[in-house]
Amino acid sequence: MLKAENVRKVFGSTVVLDGVNLSVQPGEVVSILGSSGSGKSTLIRCINGLEKLDGGRITVDEFDVSKPRELAEARKRSGTVFQLFNLYPHMTALQNITLAPIQVLQQPKAEAERKARALLAQVGLGDRGDAYPAQLSGGQRQRVGICRALAMEPRYLLLDEVTSALDPEMTADVLGILADLARGGTTMVFVTHEIEFARQISNRIVFLDKGKLVVDLPTAAFFSAKGGMAVPRIAQFLSKMRKD
Amino acid sequence: MRFDLSILWPHLPFLWKGAVLSAEVCLLAIIGSVVLGALVAIARTSSAKPLRWLALAYVDLFRNVPFLVQLFFFYYGLPELGIYIDAFTTGVIALSIAGGAFASDAIRSGILAIEPGIIEAAEVSGLSRRVIFTRIVLPIALRTAIRPLGAVLVNMILTSSILSAITLNELTGSGRIVASDTFRPFEVYAVLLVFYAALTYAVSIAVNLLHVRLNRGISQDVA
Repeated sequence: MLKAENVRKVFGSTVVLDGVNLSVQPGEVVSILGSSGSGKSTLIRCINGLEKLDGGRITVDEFDVSKPRELAEARKRSGTVFQLFNLYPHMTALQNITLAPIQVLQQPKAEAERKARALLAQVGLGDRGDAYPAQLSGGQRQRVGICRALAMEPRYLLLDEVTSALDPEMTADVLGILADLARGGTTMVFVTHEIEFARQISNRIVFLDKGKLVVDLPTAAFFSAKGGMAVPRIAQFLSKMRKD
Repeated sequence: MRFDLSILWPHLPFLWKGAVLSAEVCLLAIIGSVVLGALVAIARTSSAKPLRWLALAYVDLFRNVPFLVQLFFFYYGLPELGIYIDAFTTGVIALSIAGGAFASDAIRSGILAIEPGIIEAAEVSGLSRRVIFTRIVLPIALRTAIRPLGAVLVNMILTSSILSAITLNELTGSGRIVASDTFRPFEVYAVLLVFYAALTYAVSIAVNLLHVRLNRGISQDVA
């Protein structure tokens, strides 16, 4: 189980996360919605240990990310896909995917490459393993980014606005892959602005506003008039997003 | 005046020995200064303040003192403390230390130019700091740093001619001996000019090849 308890994060005098509680069970897809600056991405960055907590506790399968000794183990259990892909520009798609399995999981090179090619084929890039990131389109790069995270066989996949830098067509490609993963039972924490998509694939929706967790509801309840929509801030957010 | 290279024939083996010595010193000093430069660049981009301060002090000190003074200090000054180092080793160490100060700046600028997200991606995938540095940070930093670094190395080869001042008979030192033996400085130094130009040109070519190799895949040729 992935668990955040009373998480607090401060940048200077700005409180970015203010007493956030969240737990994700294996097999669940949880989407985190909220306006820009609501703390969604920061929450992901706290879970994978890129930001230090100013209060509270985050554990990934009982491993505390605030303890340096346990962080490595926690990181092995989660994989992150980034908004701006963050591929290693000097390595081919295949090398991007196999680096960590070889170095961290000690997989033999041949095995790591075989698995990486299978992942690439799964996302429709079976013939682009030897391409460098600069030779791939944005959507293709993000698909490589997803493969890189999946190659570590994480128990939890953390997705930080993974389609925000893509045009609508590429967005559809990437979302299609995520939908497949969700159907296949991959556990996901999905920070997104794609509300309709979140509605289709999520078990639960969490809404953050100014660093506070406003609601944490099953998807159907979140979009019902008596559930999430009864909260003025959420109704306002959803109507605004849909107008766009 | 006459230009007659044949008078150098009997002295060629001696000059060749000097040239080999120069090449040896330069090769070792290139390795030394790149390794030292990389270490200092890590220290200067480290989160530990004392380490950053120490590295900056080193860079500032050795960039602001004439190389000849550094050399004399190591070769003639240190024996006062009971530290005796032979001329060859002193030459390699002094060049490495001086070159390392400049090399560290070139490498550091390459490190600072790396997109932070790329390093974060490596961190969250659980790679060790050593692997992140050797497999990701350094190769990406060198993509932009290799050309300024090449200029530093070429400059270091040229500086190696000063080592004759501490009795090391590298090429320039041997040349001076031959010139005073033969009274033909024109021919002797003409040969030296050609040799140094060839040596630095070889380094420039190697740097260019490295630049191409490190920047593989950066062009937008497909997509």
